[in-house]
Amino acid sequence: MASRKRKRYCKDIKCVFFPDDAENGVENLGRGPSSLSSVSSARSWEKRGDSFLDTPVIKNHKSSRRKLSAIRKSTQIPALAQTSTVHINEEQVHIAWSSSDNEQSDDETQEQHLARAAALKQQHPQRPGRPKAPFQSYTRALHMLSTEKDDLPVIDTDSDLDESEEDVEKDDEQQISDCESSDEKPKDFPLKPTNVVELEISGYVSDGESAGNALSSSRLDSGSFPLQTGEGSSRSVSDWVRSAQAMLQTPQKAFDRPPRTPEDSGKKKRKFQSGGLAERLNRLQCRQRSAISFWRHQSISNTSVTAVDRPGVLVLEVLEVQEECNMQLVHCEHYQLSTEGHQYSHTVSQERARVLVLFSRETAAQLIPSPGDIIHIYPPWQSLSIEGFSCDIILNTHFSQKVFSASKPANMSVPRGLLSARRCMPYYLGKTFELLDVCRTTEENSVQQDDLSAALSSFRGSGVLKKHCLSLLEAIEGLGQAGSVGQDVEVVVQRVYSIPLPDSSPVSIFKPRVPSRSFAAPPAPVEKGKTRLCVLVQDSYGTFSVVQLHILPSKDDLHKYCELWQGKTCVLRGIKVVQRVTRERHTMLFSLIDSLWPPVMPLKDHGNTPSTSSESRSAGPAPRFCYLLSGQENSVEPTVGQAVSPLYLPPTGQTLRDVWQSEMKTCRCSFVATVLYKRTQGCDVGQGEVWLVLTDPSLQEEQPERLCRRTVTLCVSTSCVLTSSVLKALNSPAACRMSFRDAIKEAGVLLCVEQSVVDVHSVDPEDRHASTARPESLSQTLTEPQVKTLPQPVKLDPLSLKTTPNSLCTLTGVIVGVEESTAYSWPACNYCGSDHLKILAEMPQNFHCVSCKSAVEKPDTKIQLEVFLSSSSLSNYTLKVKFPGYDVENVLGKEVGPLAVYVRVVTRKPALWMCLEEICL
Amino acid sequence: MLKMRQFLPAVAEQLFRDIQKSYQETSQIPDDLLIPLKFVFGPCALQALDLVDRHSVTCLSSPSGRKAFQVMGGSGCLYTCFVSCHYCPCPAFAYTVLCRNEGLLCKHILAIYLCQAMGVTQQASVSDQQMSLLLSETAAPWHRNVWCCVQQVDQCPQVHRNSMDPTPC
Repeated sequence: MASRKRKRYCKDIKCVFFPDDAENGVENLGRGPSSLSSVSSARSWEKRGDSFLDTPVIKNHKSSRRKLSAIRKSTQIPALAQTSTVHINEEQVHIAWSSSDNEQSDDETQEQHLARAAALKQQHPQRPGRPKAPFQSYTRALHMLSTEKDDLPVIDTDSDLDESEEDVEKDDEQQISDCESSDEKPKDFPLKPTNVVELEISGYVSDGESAGNALSSSRLDSGSFPLQTGEGSSRSVSDWVRSAQAMLQTPQKAFDRPPRTPEDSGKKKRKFQSGGLAERLNRLQCRQRSAISFWRHQSISNTSVTAVDRPGVLVLEVLEVQEECNMQLVHCEHYQLSTEGHQYSHTVSQERARVLVLFSRETAAQLIPSPGDIIHIYPPWQSLSIEGFSCDIILNTHFSQKVFSASKPANMSVPRGLLSARRCMPYYLGKTFELLDVCRTTEENSVQQDDLSAALSSFRGSGVLKKHCLSLLEAIEGLGQAGSVGQDVEVVVQRVYSIPLPDSSPVSIFKPRVPSRSFAAPPAPVEKGKTRLCVLVQDSYGTFSVVQLHILPSKDDLHKYCELWQGKTCVLRGIKVVQRVTRERHTMLFSLIDSLWPPVMPLKDHGNTPSTSSESRSAGPAPRFCYLLSGQENSVEPTVGQAVSPLYLPPTGQTLRDVWQSEMKTCRCSFVATVLYKRTQGCDVGQGEVWLVLTDPSLQEEQPERLCRRTVTLCVSTSCVLTSSVLKALNSPAACRMSFRDAIKEAGVLLCVEQSVVDVHSVDPEDRHASTARPESLSQTLTEPQVKTLPQPVKLDPLSLKTTPNSLCTLTGVIVGVEESTAYSWPACNYCGSDHLKILAEMPQNFHCVSCKSAVEKPDTKIQLEVFLSSSSLSNYTLKVKFPGYDVENVLGKEVGPLAVYVRVVTRKPALWMCLEEICL
Repeated sequence: MLKMRQFLPAVAEQLFRDIQKSYQETSQIPDDLLIPLKFVFGPCALQALDLVDRHSVTCLSSPSGRKAFQVMGGSGCLYTCFVSCHYCPCPAFAYTVLCRNEGLLCKHILAIYLCQAMGVTQQASVSDQQMSLLLSETAAPWHRNVWCCVQQVDQCPQVHRNSMDPTPC
């Protein structure tokens, strides 16, 4: 239906009678929200009256006009275009008959009007104005129109189009011969005739010059009229009628003719500087114009409007229309399609924001937005957020479609005319826009060549600060095209970390839901093991967001960004919203957010303006959602001269004992610990999960009650990125001290996941110096008291029934037997210890290690021996322990221990069974 | 006439700000800003960008600290524009902006804003006498026409107040 309507509007525009009809018709749309056809036809009538001011017609004319406006105000009928046409025709009929006007063209045009209306309805297959009595056709048309009043008209669009085109063609033919002179008229300054009765016009035409134009054009027309009648005499009446009507039509202005494109250039073929901005815009404009033409063609042929679910389509309800400088500014509200049927309804949620939509004159002429209408705006549109404005302004609304017209009979009571577009006062010229202010502020300075640029840059500095939005929510609510956040947002970088790229890791918490758009950069080919930089940011209102930034050239660059950003107030710019994530789905992320909650300083309240920072609220419950954003390296920029933000909550170093004794089920914790033992699953450290057995002095020191274990186990999941220095340290056999930031303690297990950062903990003076720059640094808080106090050798818990897998314990006991049947030995690489060896074909006694790819001349021989052990700590059990590297004769009856063993597997059903492995610390 | 909040000037202002920022950061204006510029200013945008490409905007400064912009039009005419208010002596400004209220700015003023945003305004020094001559000339022939026109339209009293005021600041 919308497309049909549009087509009709096209026709209406083509069929206007006076040059200023089209010109003013569009800009006057808002004032009278009724269709163009009604406005133009009414006015054409009005102008005819104007040109015969001294005839008695004027009285009828006046009254008719009044009636017209009254009708327009009271009409609340769907497809107002048709119905108002009907009314107008009725009026015109009456006037024509009652006034017994001898001006023949009047009758003809009225007939033409009606015929047109009839043709629209497709009720009249006959050509208008066949050699029949005009009476008959009028009454019939009227009858048909009036009976159909409440139904939406059934229009055969094809034939409609054909006819209108035909008309226009014929009109054009006529125009060429005689009406050229009036072409330039409207461009001139309005020559205001003094005899124009302003009162009459002020009713619904406020721009005064239209009357002047009308006068001149009608004069022109009447002058050339006789010429045409002579020519038309040989033709059929209908042709004559048409030619007569064409006579009354001055040539349309270039921009009036095609509603196809928003801007018709082509008039001036100018050469732009190659590579210049104008050339670029010209190219863009051409592309856009053809895109719009294509889209309009498509939307006309495609009558369905069910593309609401397409991403990026704005579904808006018109609230108010105002006109500014030839554009229509429409106050809208987001609308959502309810699930049942095609009934539009308000959604209950409060998230619906108001937006302002700017329509160009051409688009507005097609849409004729009026309050209550539902309008679809298809991408690409653009959104502009303006400082100090609560809502965004949608620009580039070329692809807009009205899908629902509010002018239904049910709403008849609402006076439609009152809700129409209101025309704004011309804007105040006595104040320039911000950019020129700089010229005035520099007036005190001595006038030199460079002054302006210097001033400009200083101005820019303050301008940038001023543009910052302080609220992530506000910035995200004001989403621009394709989810990009137009505003800069000032945030505190709470954490910097990196995540492995999805290619190298199947574990990715976030799966972007937003389909990537054409202009989004295609994901660069990813090297294996590359990582992406992420920051967890918080605004001064307390809202968190994760910003996924660029791919790090090297994993180790993470430290650089930690130093640069973490704890600093930064400005986010050029970011896009990927996803809104909730606590339920992303427990890991929210455990980190919880560790930052409540904030260290009072938060701002969204209810207040950002400037009144004294107003603050107590932190409520931790947030239940946050946003996942994406950006580039330059998306995060620390504000100048900022030390650590007061809102920054640094990771607090804890002792492992504190961590372990913490009551919280799931929490984030940061600590420094010594890695006693590491075990990878299957492959090298860094490739898969890594299990680390940790201890720290707090666990090693003597405790009155043995509440705590001597060691704890930590699992580094594949989603936690380990830098090369960490991998190096872990791959070396020596025990190493590491800092763990934001590890998760969950159900008695320590985990390093996506947001956790593992770092080698060095106590170099250089490092310490660096850490003093950030007083709250984790390294600083934990270093001194612990370094010396770790005992050698490290104490382990004795093996007990409660021993958990992947832990270390000591084992003492007496070997009571050897499982000889299962004993065996095998060669292993003397470099890496791998048992994955190949016999070299040329030298059978030598091996080639598959793991470390080296030739193994003297392989270690590993012996697998299972012994039965009677242990004091587990007196009721006999332990079967695998011992690598013992002779059978040497072990029998011997007391073993204390041995450090690694508990590989613990099975408690059907019977307790532990698989231990002796290890060397 | 109802007093309504006007949005278009704010839109234009924000666009200039964005262009300034973008140009400052990347030394170019992305398509994403050119398109809305065209959307808001219509055909003016293309012509103004052409003026920018041709470095047609000069900021004149006099020793007394007064400034004015001079824009070399496509036809070679020089248009002097004020720093403190929107006024251009070109016919398009008189017709489109003052009389018809169909545009925010003419291409010359738009070019001034774009040049300022991009920092590509040419600089020139003139004497105080030259400056005062320039500014008073600005109010010469077109002004009478504009005055008449404004009187007829009679929509915005502030228009003729400003346009008749030859002093720049």
